[in-house]
Amino acid sequence: MSHLESDQIPCVEVLTSVVFLIEDALDQVPNALALTNHLNTCLACQAEVAHEQAVKAMMQEVLRRTCDEKAPEDLHSSIHDLLAQQLDGHLIDGNVSSVMTQFSMTEISIEIDEFGNVEHREVQIEQTHIAHFIDDDESGHH
Amino acid sequence: MTSKDLVLESAADRTTRFERDALVFMDQLYAAALRYTKNPEDARDLVQDTYLKAFTSFHQFEEGTNLRAWLYRVLTTTFINSYRKGQRQPQLAHNELEDWQVASAQSHTSDQGKSAEVEALENLPDSDIKRALQEIPEEFRIAVYLADVEGFSYKEIAEIVGTPAGTVMSRLHRGRKLLREKLATYAAELGYGKEEKK
Repeated sequence: MSHLESDQIPCVEVLTSVVFLIEDALDQVPNALALTNHLNTCLACQAEVAHEQAVKAMMQEVLRRTCDEKAPEDLHSSIHDLLAQQLDGHLIDGNVSSVMTQFSMTEISIEIDEFGNVEHREVQIEQTHIAHFIDDDESGHH
Repeated sequence: MTSKDLVLESAADRTTRFERDALVFMDQLYAAALRYTKNPEDARDLVQDTYLKAFTSFHQFEEGTNLRAWLYRVLTTTFINSYRKGQRQPQLAHNELEDWQVASAQSHTSDQGKSAEVEALENLPDSDIKRALQEIPEEFRIAVYLADVEGFSYKEIAEIVGTPAGTVMSRLHRGRKLLREKLATYAAELGYGKEEKK
C-alpha cells in the first residue's frame, strides 16, 4: 500500500471491519479514526456499509418473525408448581437445603509412552468414613 | 420476630417478586431454548432448569439491573454446560476464530449481488430461515440469536456468553456470513437471485 499516506487504509480494511461499524463497536478496533476517515471519502465503502446495515435490519426483522414462539401453556403451570415446591421446601427445612455427608471419588491414571508401554499406573480412592452430622446455627435458640 | 421468621418472610417475598418479574420472559426464553436445543422437549427442560437455577440464585441478582440479560445468561450457561454435553458438538479451535478477518477479506459487492441478497431475504419462507439458523454452528447461532433476535448489544452478549467482546464480534461476523450464505443457497434453489455474487 505504498501509494497510501501513512494514516490512510485500503478499502479491504474497511470491508473486514464492517461488523464493528454496524455494531457501533469502533472502540474495539485499533484503527477507528482511519476507518471513519476512509468512510468519509469513499463512496463505495459507504454503499457497502449502508447495504450491510440494511441487510442486518432485514435479517433481524425476518429472524424475529420466524423465531417468535409461545411457550407451551402447561410449562407456565409446571414452573409455577416447581417454584411453589421450592418455597415449601424452604419452609420445612428452614435455611438448610442440603448438606453433603458422604462422598467417594475414584481416580485412575495410566501413563503410556510413545511405544505403547505402560509407564505408570495409579488408582486413588477417596471417600468419607464417618458421616458428619451438621447442626445448623438455629440450634442455639431451641 | 425470630431470625427464622425473617428468613421465611423474605423467601416468600422473594418468590412473589421472582414470579412477578421473571416469569414474563418465559415465551422469549422458550423461543431461544428452541433455537439452542433444536427440539421442543429439550427446550422445555432447558427453560424449566433455567427458572429453577435463576430462582435459587435470585438473591444474587441485583434489583434494578437487567433481569432479562441475567436470565439469558442463566439460560445460555445452562445450555452450554449441560445440554450440549450429550450432543458432543465439535468445539471451535482458537485459531479458527482469530483468522476470521483474513478469511473474509473481500471486495465490494456488486449492485446485482446486493439486490439478490435483499430479494432472497424478502422471499424465503420462514421454514428456510429456521433451517439455516439451525445449521450454523452453535457458537455462531447463539451470538446471532442474541444480537439479531433479542437485540442485545455485543457487550451484553459478552456478559451472557462469558467470552471477550472481540470473540463476540468475530462470532457475529462469521455467524451472519454463514447464515447469509445458506440463505443464498436456498434462494438459488428456489430460483431467486440467479447467482450474481462473486
